[in-house]
Amino acid sequence: MATQPTSAKRATGILVSLLIVAIVLALFFAYRRTVHLHLLRGPQLHVSLRQLPYYAFCSLSRMTAAYVLALIFSLVYGLLAARGRAWERVMLPAIDIAQSVPVVGFFPAAIYFFVALAHGSRFGVEMAAVFLIFTSQAWNMALGVFESVRTLPTDSLEALDAFGATGWLRLRRLLLPACVPKLVYNSILSWVAGWYYLIACEIIAVGPAHYELPGLGSYLMKAADKGRTGELIAGLLTLLAIIVLMDGIVWQPLSEWAEKFRYEFAASSEPLRTFGALNVLGSVGPAVLQIFRAMGRPIIRGFRRVLAATPPFDPAKYPALQSGSRWLRIGLAAAAIFVVAMGVINGTVALLRTLMEPWPAAVHQIPLATGASLLRLIAAYALSLAWTIPCAIAASESPRFARRLAPFAEIFGSMPATALFPLIVIFVIRVTGGMNFASILLILTGMQWYVLFNLLAGVSQIPADLKEAARSFGLSRVATWRQLTLPAILPSLITGSITAWGGGWNALILSEYFVYRGTTYRVFGLGAMLDDATYQTGNGLMILLTLLSMVLVVITLNRLVWRRLYDITTDRYRIDY
Amino acid sequence: MALLELKHISQSFPHAKGTLPVIEDLSFTVEKGEFIAIVGPSGCGKSTMLRIINGLMAPTSGQVLYKGRQVDGINLECALVFQSFALMPWLSVKANVELGLEARGLAPAEREKRASVYIDKVGLDGFEEAYPRELSGGMKQRVGLARALAVEPQLLLMDEPFSALDALTAITLREELLDIWQSADMPVHNIIMVTHIIEEAVELADRILVLSSGPGRLVADLKVELPRPRDRRKEGFNALTDKVFSLIEERA
Repeated sequence: MATQPTSAKRATGILVSLLIVAIVLALFFAYRRTVHLHLLRGPQLHVSLRQLPYYAFCSLSRMTAAYVLALIFSLVYGLLAARGRAWERVMLPAIDIAQSVPVVGFFPAAIYFFVALAHGSRFGVEMAAVFLIFTSQAWNMALGVFESVRTLPTDSLEALDAFGATGWLRLRRLLLPACVPKLVYNSILSWVAGWYYLIACEIIAVGPAHYELPGLGSYLMKAADKGRTGELIAGLLTLLAIIVLMDGIVWQPLSEWAEKFRYEFAASSEPLRTFGALNVLGSVGPAVLQIFRAMGRPIIRGFRRVLAATPPFDPAKYPALQSGSRWLRIGLAAAAIFVVAMGVINGTVALLRTLMEPWPAAVHQIPLATGASLLRLIAAYALSLAWTIPCAIAASESPRFARRLAPFAEIFGSMPATALFPLIVIFVIRVTGGMNFASILLILTGMQWYVLFNLLAGVSQIPADLKEAARSFGLSRVATWRQLTLPAILPSLITGSITAWGGGWNALILSEYFVYRGTTYRVFGLGAMLDDATYQTGNGLMILLTLLSMVLVVITLNRLVWRRLYDITTDRYRIDY
Repeated sequence: MALLELKHISQSFPHAKGTLPVIEDLSFTVEKGEFIAIVGPSGCGKSTMLRIINGLMAPTSGQVLYKGRQVDGINLECALVFQSFALMPWLSVKANVELGLEARGLAPAEREKRASVYIDKVGLDGFEEAYPRELSGGMKQRVGLARALAVEPQLLLMDEPFSALDALTAITLREELLDIWQSADMPVHNIIMVTHIIEEAVELADRILVLSSGPGRLVADLKVELPRPRDRRKEGFNALTDKVFSLIEERA
């Protein structure tokens, strides 16, 4: 059973979170101030089918780079956070904050930061994109690692202790294998999320930021902008093909492989079955895995040989080193603290200087804009619920419907919604002539799948005997919904809603401001305001205040609404006996 | 007229290779006032049969007659007690017990009255507002029993009701079940209980139906003539237990 966090713990959590936000903001401004942003123009994008494979390759490379970084990060971070309560207390709130921040909003900031680092070269934008995708992938993976290690049964840890297995052996034989199931599961989720943000980055880069980042997203955007529907659809199909192929060749075999590492006897979470309909690929996958394994074997063997040749490191033999390493540690810590402190001081000064600037008139509109955006999100959320809950109920009543729905949901859900943005915008603008409805629709595409997936998972976990009991006692359909189906899926609904709102805030930034055929379509809202401030006026204060307002609303909603609902539902509507 | 009549019931499920027969040509009759135990090895389709009697499942072939009429859909004069208790974790004890009453269209006041009567009967007085997760296994099954009794069924169906409980709790609950069945003011006079615990069957039932496994067939239909209260130390108890054992082993 989960322990209830005490209010003191919660307070430190919030304090740490605020501190982290402050540090990040301060660092951002410290750098932003020193940079005179001057982007060199990248290569011109061509909307032609011949260029499509190249763009696909660019996008895929960006994804891979970000994923590898996220993988390394999550292992290091997760293992460290699981080392002790003290680590956990700082590192978990940090992830909590990072997860709830609308990443897309920080893309402009990231561009500034990385372009400055790269001295204005194109590589800076690449780094910014990779960084952004990384931030969309890393957190849940790190949490997965942390949870896997944290929930390891003590007896297996004790068994290794009893055998004197420490260090590398312990890592290789226990900790890493223990992480595999959750890491693979989260990798698949992260990969899907990564596509979403990759396309978002590329769209932003080519759209409002007027910088061409060669890739599928920018291609789709350009094709839409030029009204080339055929090329647009070809681009979408290419994207779909890549997603399906990657799934069949990499993720499906990986998740099958990961099943072997599952520790618990009763599977707590369903094995993530991906595209069941495309089993042909499933047979290709293991073969590819074999090839990878064959290639990896000599490397591992060599590594092992080197390890075997070096005597195990025993610090007790080197007293000098021991005291030395202590000084080294202190020195490193001091250096790290110094760097962070300098950053914070610099940043605070820059921050204050920014705040001293004359405030633009638009500042007064921020609360109203926040409200408008919030209303849009609520509307999109209501729409998501309006179709996903009936769907989930239908799936609970008819397994056949659930089976038929699953492949569609999987394919549509893993298609990054951002890729459809150009298509949706063009269509809706043509029909309604304005952006208002399109904006809600775009947010909807960023929200609905999270709700649907979680609800379907919840439905599939309703115990058969409860369903039988409801039928056996003659409950009517409506009574069954009320007494069984709805309460049973409530925890999934809350989890899904939390992720959906996260997705919604991210979509917001892309949804309120769109450049199409040279015309800027915009609605009144926080996202549009942020876009305006970054790409049109370049007003640092406005960027800061809109971002701050957004982060504040997100965190407040999370703490006051979602966290509470989550606690209540997991407490009362949990199915366990 | 017999209370319940099963005629040539067969049931098979779709399987990777064609269909998997679970029950084959099963026929028997239940007279009014009988306590029947169905025993058999795992996989003999005894739980499936209970579900067919309740109407949760339609048999692949054959007929179920209840009071001479063919059962079509859920038979609301039955109530089922589950091995896993199958209580809604989000409903209080009282709301769980009222579940079947609501389905039968009782007014809220009437529901409440009847629920509290049966909660008392199973000895859970004072736990009306508790949630299932706060109860021990034995108490959960008492709720399951109260829920089934509350609809005042003609026929009580019990699917391994005491298998998930520890031995001592099971003994107490068995005695209480007998008390309930024998007391005149209780509407339930017919019980069909599925079990794999042979002593349980011998202790409780008037008749024991022995099924073979894969697919389930009726092997024996034994009348239990031992006087009540029965005890394993009394004469005849062990002899009958051994007989049922050997019947199952022969066919396994």
